[in-house]
Amino acid sequence: MLLIHCPYCDQQRAEIEFAYAGEAHIARPLDPAAMSDEDWARYLFIRSNPRGRHHERWRHIHGCGRFFNAVRDTATDKFEATYQAGKPRR
Amino acid sequence: MSEALARSEPVSAQFYSGAGVSLSLAAPMARYALRARQPEPLEHLLGFELPRQIGAIKGGAACLGPDEWLLRGPVATTVATGAGLPVSITQVSDRSVCLLVDGPHAADVLAAGCPLDLDRFAVGRATRTVFEAVEILLLHTSDDRFEVEVWRSFAPWLKKALETAARQLR
Repeated sequence: MLLIHCPYCDQQRAEIEFAYAGEAHIARPLDPAAMSDEDWARYLFIRSNPRGRHHERWRHIHGCGRFFNAVRDTATDKFEATYQAGKPRR
Repeated sequence: MSEALARSEPVSAQFYSGAGVSLSLAAPMARYALRARQPEPLEHLLGFELPRQIGAIKGGAACLGPDEWLLRGPVATTVATGAGLPVSITQVSDRSVCLLVDGPHAADVLAAGCPLDLDRFAVGRATRTVFEAVEILLLHTSDDRFEVEVWRSFAPWLKKALETAARQLR
């Protein structure tokens, strides 16, 4: 069983309680109308997709319901850290 | 009007009784979903202090998340609407039913489908979690009793799953 640390509950909980929610720290552009189609498409669809250290969002959907950020190694599936949404990138 | 209608429950009152565990349906109760960024206005309305730590129960209110509580009480319990205050209070009494898992083997039955470490889930704790694929709210109310809040439409399935687990106890 893969355990994930929820930074709000401050507990290790089973992966089945969580939902993955894509790459983290992607800010929505403040003025989309001023962007070219290419830039907008890049914001919408293009992700870093690294092999290794990846910043991503998770939600403790069957728990406290909160979104948080995690650093996970995409090759080993090991979680390096989890931290509350809004906290600086690790 | 609704009070005049016959109440029908999705599972029967006492549906399993065996060595070390018995399963039953709790009496109907009032439930309120309470949300607020700051708990103070809620506490002012309710007249008691809410638990601040996620997973704690105090005065019938269980803290489910940083801004979320579930208040359970006798059927007649009412809570003011909180109009004008930065709070959300929703009556959800009939959203779920409560299944009681009683007996010295209660934790063993739940462990069949629940990923929580139940040995470290002390009396007086409550949390949302899952039983196999069904979301439940698990409350540990006394040494030998767990209460499982489950949405009504999932109750017949959960009843069957708990019964199956209870039958397999040796």
